[in-house]
Amino acid sequence: MAGDATLDRRALARRLGQLADASVADVLALAPATPATVPRIGLTGAPGVGKSSLAGRLALLRAAHHRIGMLAVDPSSPLTGGAILGDRIRLDELAGAENLYLRSIASRAHSDGLADNLPELLEALAAAGFEELLLETVGVGQAEHAVRSQVDTLALVLMPGAGDTVQAMKAGTMELADIYVVNKSELAGAAQLAAEIRRVQALRAAHDGWQAPVVLTSIHDGDSISALSAAIDAHQAWLDEHADRAGRLAARARYRLQLLLERRLGEVLDALSADTLEQPLDMQFAAALAALPLDRTSS
Amino acid sequence: MSTPTTSNAAAGNGAAPLRGKRILVAKPGLDGHDIGAKVVALALRDAGAEVIYTGLRKSPQQIARVAIDEGVDAVGLSILSGSHRELVAQVVECLRAENADDIALFVGGTVPAEDHAALSALGVRGIYTSDQPLADVVAALGAALA
Repeated sequence: MAGDATLDRRALARRLGQLADASVADVLALAPATPATVPRIGLTGAPGVGKSSLAGRLALLRAAHHRIGMLAVDPSSPLTGGAILGDRIRLDELAGAENLYLRSIASRAHSDGLADNLPELLEALAAAGFEELLLETVGVGQAEHAVRSQVDTLALVLMPGAGDTVQAMKAGTMELADIYVVNKSELAGAAQLAAEIRRVQALRAAHDGWQAPVVLTSIHDGDSISALSAAIDAHQAWLDEHADRAGRLAARARYRLQLLLERRLGEVLDALSADTLEQPLDMQFAAALAALPLDRTSS
Repeated sequence: MSTPTTSNAAAGNGAAPLRGKRILVAKPGLDGHDIGAKVVALALRDAGAEVIYTGLRKSPQQIARVAIDEGVDAVGLSILSGSHRELVAQVVECLRAENADDIALFVGGTVPAEDHAALSALGVRGIYTSDQPLADVVAALGAALA
């Protein structure tokens, strides 16, 4: 593996900062022709279920064997653009692990729980020589659909007592996850929640042949983190044998393109004059389409 | 550096003087009071900054590592324990060892006036004590990082 033990953390940090701030035009200019692909694991779930601590423990465990690049996405304020990125609070050991690089990312303009330029940030980590990428995102609405396309193995984190099986069903996430995690397993109702998920899963025809396991975890129980890690390994092995890799990469590329187009649309809409918006709808539409090509507005 | 794009036209730069800045708020040493650090972190967020908050009792090595990995523009150390001279010197040393002493360093907390010169000599760009209005702290940081 290229770059072993010689990771220039400062250079990588600068590159990620540059990418996070890149305009649509800059992203197009900076994108590598053939992105490196390494296994990607996603952890998602509602706020407060303990994703950050769990992701940190998992990353430390897996960093014993792989060089891990991790992105943790927290929401930005839509009003000021500011954000509190608090994923580092709970784990002192994260900062001492040489095999682990964690970057906190603010979701910026993006409203689906991911971040502007997230696909590019993940690719930059892969290019930096990490052997495995870990993505932690807060689950809000459609976020899981977006994160689904960016990772190979998606773990949905739930906790007892939050009524979130039904919420997750409503949001459609129960069909998306490869692994269900019942976190805070020391709380009452954990076994019941796990049983409930298993029942729902059993009634559902597995659309791709993978039977998603339910793993109970607690950050106070190291064995449970190992069990989650083993479930991830099992899914990755299954993917190597069975999965439609080309289809997965196509879905990933499609979402990446969608993000860029949406951002470009946002730029165009912000620049439309009030006069234009008083015109008939078909003329508004034509004006917006005419403004889309980048060479008209890029610096 | 390009401005982060947003479709929310209401967010002007006037309301968000720290927009686009990444700032680490860290608590080195052994004192266990982080209300001040949290209040400052929120004020910086409200001024548009992306604030990375570490929580209590971080070592200077941990703080420097996080500052580097997160690619921050500035580090704010909240110190109430009285050990500000030692802790600041250690953080400066750790950053320098990683060629990262260009990251701006600020200190907040209980720092007696007679120690300000010593901290400035270590490279601290600003010292803010609890009697200063938050708006002044935000304005000073905005000017220092502009």
